[in-house]
Amino acid sequence: MDPIAWSVAAPAVGSAFLASLVEAVEAFTIVLAVATLRGWRPAACGAAGALGVLGVLIAGLGPLLDRVPLHPLQLAIGVLLLLLGMGWLRKAILRAAGVIPLHDEAAIFASETGQLADSTRHQPTSLDWIAGLTAFKAVLLEGLEVVFIVIAVGAGRGLLWPAGVGALAACLAILAIGVAVRKPLAKVPENTLKFGIGVMLSAFGVFWTGEGLGINWPGQDFALGAFAVLFLSVGIAAASMLRRPAAEAIQ
Amino acid sequence: MNIIREVLKELVGMFLADARLTLATLFLVAVVAALVGVWRVGPLVGGGILVLGCLAILVEAASREARRVSRQ
Repeated sequence: MDPIAWSVAAPAVGSAFLASLVEAVEAFTIVLAVATLRGWRPAACGAAGALGVLGVLIAGLGPLLDRVPLHPLQLAIGVLLLLLGMGWLRKAILRAAGVIPLHDEAAIFASETGQLADSTRHQPTSLDWIAGLTAFKAVLLEGLEVVFIVIAVGAGRGLLWPAGVGALAACLAILAIGVAVRKPLAKVPENTLKFGIGVMLSAFGVFWTGEGLGINWPGQDFALGAFAVLFLSVGIAAASMLRRPAAEAIQ
Repeated sequence: MNIIREVLKELVGMFLADARLTLATLFLVAVVAALVGVWRVGPLVGGGILVLGCLAILVEAASREARRVSRQ
């Protein structure tokens, strides 16, 4: 692969990997709650079923998108990436500034375990079914964003497979660590990762929206890096700007 | 059916978490499209407006939410 191709492939694979890492941590917390209450069999079956559905979505939608003309596809995906990326970045800025609380995997684990115990008490005949469905739903819902990101950063540039492999690698890494540790992965710096993903998705969004509108960016693919630096700098500045008023409000 | 509803809710929530941010971004893209396509401004000017506009929308959305939370 030449250096220009790497300048797009690396952010695409990196974004898919990081997004998948964050979503896999969140899904794993719920799968672990299911496994703790009902054993690994329903948890694994539910998770595997959802991964299958997500895989079919990627395999089905990806090649379909390759048939759409490039500029309209770049514009549509660019706008969607902008909305998703700026949404993630906005939330990450607010969390970094202390305006909204950080994601607490231990608290989510406790809450999910409690809810699942309640539902199995009310319907004791279908315990494994409820447990499996809970794991299925968690993996499916958390995985949807990853599927969109994989398709969005991969389609149109022939990077669907590398981006998919990046996402899968992250899932396997979290699974391996999670099965070894058997505790919610509360120490993963989730907000820092979300900040990074928000920055990358927003950069991709601006880049592809511009290309879709017929703008030839100076430096071509290298403009992606410049956009990422801009979003990162403004995001960090916004978080530090909002930190003081929020702290004062709490006092 | 419950799962399908939750999947649809998740999909909509992915892009419409903050309605004003979504509307402002769509408006900005429409303005840049008109500038580049109709008024034939230079691509760099259009690109610059797109980049700076997105950054401004982001900062405004985060500041607005911070103000809303601090008022509560």
